Amino acid sequence: MTGGYTGKILRVNLTTKSVGTIPTERYEEYGGGHGMGSAIFFDLVGDQLPFEAFDPRNLIIMMNHPFAGTFMPGSGRCEVQGLAPMLHPIEWFAHSNFGGRFTAQLKFAGWDGIVVEGASDEPVWINIVNDEVAIESASGIWGMDTWDTQEEISRRVMPNLKYGEWTEVDDTFTTQIPAVVCCGVAGENRSRMGALLHGPGSQAALGGFGGVFGSKNLKAISAIGTGNATIADPQAFMEARLWFRQFLWDVDNPRRKDMVGGFYFWINGSPAGANVTNNPYFGANALPLVPARAAACASCPRACRQRLASGDSNESVCAGTAAVRLEGASLKLTRRANDLVQKYGLSHWHFMPMQGYIQSLYNRGLLGKGKRIESDLPMDQFGTMGFLDMFMNQIATRQGIGKDLTEGLARAAKKWGTYEEDLKSGNLSLAYWGTAMHYDPRSEAEWGFGSLMGERDLMLHEIANYPLHWMPQAFQMAGKEPYLSAEQAVKIMADAMIPYQGDVFMLDYSDGPTGIYSEHKVKQVAWIKHYEKFWIGSNGFCGWRWPMCFTNNSADNRGATPRAEPMFFNAVTGKNITFADGMDLGRKIFTLDRAIWTMQGRDRDMEVFPDYIYEKDSGGELMPIYDHKTQKWSYSRSSGRKLDRARVEEWKTKFYDFEGFNTTNGWPTRKTLEDMGLKKVADCMQEKNRLG
Amino acid sequence: MAGSNKADKKKAGTKDYSRRDFLVGGGAALAACTPAAAALPTASPAPAKNEYPVSTGYLVYDGKKCAGCTTCMLACSLTHEGVQNLSLSRIQIVQNSFGRFPYDVIMAPCRQCVTPVCVEQCPVGAAYVDTGNGNVRRIDSDKCIGCRTCLSACPQQPHRPVWNHLKKKSMKCDLCLDTPYWKERGGVDGHQACVESCPMKAIKLVTKTPSQKETEGYDVNLRNVHWLNLGLVDSSTVEPPAVADQPPLLFNVPKPEPETKE
Repeated sequence: MTGGYTGKILRVNLTTKSVGTIPTERYEEYGGGHGMGSAIFFDLVGDQLPFEAFDPRNLIIMMNHPFAGTFMPGSGRCEVQGLAPMLHPIEWFAHSNFGGRFTAQLKFAGWDGIVVEGASDEPVWINIVNDEVAIESASGIWGMDTWDTQEEISRRVMPNLKYGEWTEVDDTFTTQIPAVVCCGVAGENRSRMGALLHGPGSQAALGGFGGVFGSKNLKAISAIGTGNATIADPQAFMEARLWFRQFLWDVDNPRRKDMVGGFYFWINGSPAGANVTNNPYFGANALPLVPARAAACASCPRACRQRLASGDSNESVCAGTAAVRLEGASLKLTRRANDLVQKYGLSHWHFMPMQGYIQSLYNRGLLGKGKRIESDLPMDQFGTMGFLDMFMNQIATRQGIGKDLTEGLARAAKKWGTYEEDLKSGNLSLAYWGTAMHYDPRSEAEWGFGSLMGERDLMLHEIANYPLHWMPQAFQMAGKEPYLSAEQAVKIMADAMIPYQGDVFMLDYSDGPTGIYSEHKVKQVAWIKHYEKFWIGSNGFCGWRWPMCFTNNSADNRGATPRAEPMFFNAVTGKNITFADGMDLGRKIFTLDRAIWTMQGRDRDMEVFPDYIYEKDSGGELMPIYDHKTQKWSYSRSSGRKLDRARVEEWKTKFYDFEGFNTTNGWPTRKTLEDMGLKKVADCMQEKNRLG
Repeated sequence: MAGSNKADKKKAGTKDYSRRDFLVGGGAALAACTPAAAALPTASPAPAKNEYPVSTGYLVYDGKKCAGCTTCMLACSLTHEGVQNLSLSRIQIVQNSFGRFPYDVIMAPCRQCVTPVCVEQCPVGAAYVDTGNGNVRRIDSDKCIGCRTCLSACPQQPHRPVWNHLKKKSMKCDLCLDTPYWKERGGVDGHQACVESCPMKAIKLVTKTPSQKETEGYDVNLRNVHWLNLGLVDSSTVEPPAVADQPPLLFNVPKPEPETKE
């Protein structure tokens, strides 16, 4: 291991209160992050599947990656894995991730990742200071909100810390403060809505891993380090970073600066745009703005976040600033209401649809005092700060209607008897394994199929959504022509999609012969899953930065993908892999994940969308469409489209076949697994009669 | 403390007597009793000099433009030391995620002071003015004895000379004159790793000597109208020019009540 790794993974058993290590070398073939995490999960508990997410056997796995602690652009994400209590109908082995400084500090402390096993008999937190690791009592911290928790833990770790000065850490010095990730009160109470929070706004929102922390009596993990992130070829790494500048938004002189407006800035990687409560591009009525900084995760040259002069909504982005519905309130109050979500440690992504749904139930006469769904929430005050605080508090502390909702929207609706009807009508738009519909599978098929073949909402914007949907959408809303025509966009993008490069029909979102039901879409979704599993998940990449198939910022509109990924990876690790090698690894990791889901109970007949996707017309989303009659590409919304059940099933058969899964049940086959060197996985599946 | 892998684990920041305390913290009497200190040269300061030739290059920065990504720090340690390590960076970015802009970030590059106290105070002449390279204030690691005098003498917070805990020596910004892991030529006529790698263009090399009073000569405005157009205003009374051509709303952001300057 010449670069990119520290050589040891931290293994903490909360039941026995013991601290050990796993040699990183054992899992080096997986790169890092997600790949290593899946392999470790299988090795430690795969043979015991299925079991529940709140079972002490469940693991919290947070694996670092070769780029952690380095200046690889957009590589500051921390992958979290384990059985995920939020997901439905089965608590799939899932991933979530958050940005910030945690992976960097963990690397500097000398660790390639953390595996947490068991459950403590009392509230604890894990204290990592370089190579010293302690399981500390959370007395006085348990019950705190996520912000106070981080402040208190920082104080306990570095009692002599003076902001702006050097602090001694065992005869080394740092100006940095500990990086803490924690659950809130929601997680403490084993809420499936429980998120993990790092800093004021970096949230691992999907999966309910805050609840898993709570089930283990684990409040937080803190890391601070003064060691090295080793680089195999420092010169090559520096050159790669300077080469990458051509793809960045030039803050002093952006390209096509006349094309302002809408999402134009945002989709092209401009700083600061992701806080929708302090951004003129989400509405002129957002003015006057609060003075703010464009704030970055460790090493990110994009800096999509903000830190405000008012100190509210710091580092929160997108759903973290838009999760809460306040009616007629100031943006200042909106920011603070969203901060409450962060402080309670509730998943902003899942809390968002929850508000609309209970309002719908109330309006239909189903919810309220003395109603079918009993609730003392003051629904006449819906949308006020007081209402929201009470609502969040009930969910986080399992009171009132919160006792049901803390189990997540799908499980609550099932208990109330509204699930089937409302899922059919679309009132309950939980398209992706019990979590909210994000982008519509009826028009943005790669998002839909990518989520369906996975275990949660895809949540990867740069994989197609920003370049192919929001780019033309932004220009259309500004009354201008997109800077790339549909034909140009699909050509440049398809050129980057190794190993399927050149097949432009992968990006055809029509329902014609080369469109969303075709073998071309099979290839695109396979590319997405493989890129997701290795280049993104196993390397700490941010889904708002990678892949970068095209960009407005470069001279020829071509992005850094596929050149950048292996260039940086090889410079750090000293290896010599190609982009395609990484995609092969991604396929292996995806297959391993599918094997784990299979052993949890995944079947082909579960991989279906809710009825409304097949029965209700879509409003549509602007995407590239190829018309075989005119032989022309255009951007079109595909409004009014429903998905065809039979054609979706045909598509699934093609996808399973393409990936080497059994087409009857969608399970990985022995041949596929053994060809990838996963014989032990095949053997384990066979023992459980789940081999495809 | 359950579960510790070191029974005698010391909390970070809890300070026992260190070599630094003995040598530069006023513990002269105690230091004389220690074998390590006894072996060191007498730490008598060099004769004070009133004037040094001024540096012909300075790093100025924009503390409101910095995004806190720490790329500059990592580029610094990479090009000088061959590793990425925030503690080995000669430029420091201190930040508090929970803080209020602009006080959430402190940018701390070396000032190449007109009166370089580190040079003045170094007991062995390891800190020096490199008259052959634009009068850059440097530390000769071969001469440095690791007494940490320069660290405590630096009037800035955090102190700009940096302790290299691996080599047990001090080091400081040399404007990239000595970067064995970078092919570019540094120095006042060359390139600096922090300047080149900063994605916000928040660090700049200038030749004019900044005002030495507080930070106002160094912490300058490097933003132009394109920064303002991102919506990142200095004052809530400033409206980004691009907003005049505002397109239709994309999200149903509620109409706010008038918001006074916060």
